[in-house]
Amino acid sequence: MFDCNILAEGMLAIGDPGLAALGVGLGAGLVGMGAALGIGRIAGNAVESIARQPEAGGRIFSSMIITAALIEGFTFFALVISILALNKIG
Amino acid sequence: MIRTSVILASENPLSHVVQHPLFTLQVGSWQLNFSNHMLMALVAGLLMIIFLPLAARQRTMVPQGARNLVETICEFLREKVARPQLGENTDRFIKYLWTIFYFILFCNLLGMIPTDGILYFLIGKNHLGGTATCNIYITGTLAVTAFIMVHVSGIRHQGLFNYIKHFVPTVPWPLIPILFVLELLGAFIKPFALAIRLFANMLAGHTVLAALIGMALVLHNYTIAGVTILGASALSLLELFVAFLQAYIFTFLTTIFISAAVHPEH
Repeated sequence: MFDCNILAEGMLAIGDPGLAALGVGLGAGLVGMGAALGIGRIAGNAVESIARQPEAGGRIFSSMIITAALIEGFTFFALVISILALNKIG
Repeated sequence: MIRTSVILASENPLSHVVQHPLFTLQVGSWQLNFSNHMLMALVAGLLMIIFLPLAARQRTMVPQGARNLVETICEFLREKVARPQLGENTDRFIKYLWTIFYFILFCNLLGMIPTDGILYFLIGKNHLGGTATCNIYITGTLAVTAFIMVHVSGIRHQGLFNYIKHFVPTVPWPLIPILFVLELLGAFIKPFALAIRLFANMLAGHTVLAALIGMALVLHNYTIAGVTILGASALSLLELFVAFLQAYIFTFLTTIFISAAVHPEH
């Protein structure tokens, strides 16, 4: 129908469930990226502070693990929402 | 060539994740669908009732074996997790904290044991095992018990009016309504986050394992199957770590909420 607008033609072709699935996939991927960035920063700072003071290594390691689990907690929030959206629409 | 359905307990690796109804009890007009998650939660409870007192019953002075393990875990939870937060109220809440730690731990670890395959070889029955904490209702119930514990103990320690008054910190008066609504929402969102964190961690672990093994089932190739077995072993070790970690995180966060409700000046 549109011979110059590929994006509009693609959106017409995949229809509403396709767009919903696209949104879900993009959302889940972005959430994963955000979590990876956050946990990477924590791990970097934790390793640097253990290098500065090796005696505090145990406590720093425990705090790092706990904070990483908390960040993963609300990452999984978003993942569960994506799965729910996928079940409802796709 | 041996058919896959003789060796595998199921051809669909995702069947270890979903809930399978076992039988249905009809009580009057109510229908109770008993599923394998409920069975595994009961088995975890039974294991706790049988093995924890048995391990604590050794009569030697120096702990050995199972009693050493149970004592180490219990003392770590009481001294390093509960006592820095709760102070003198540790002994009131420590039994509840020990219970939820061991329950979540046993449920998670029972999910890692391949009970489906073993039971399929012994008796023809299938789908009797599973991870009880892969069920949002079971983790939701644990979060509801945490909610009840936090608020009931807060109200009993401070009185109802004092407890609600301590919801908001001392701020200029225009901010008090907004902060009160936020704290009220937070009181419901925090246990919800506890439930979702535990549920989604267990579900994601088993789903990734299922996807990896499913990839080997779809591509009928021996090399890929070998690499998949190595990858699945490494992932299962990570799953064991996550089982312990999630039980610890649930207990630790519940301790923090209880201490915030009982001693708001922390």
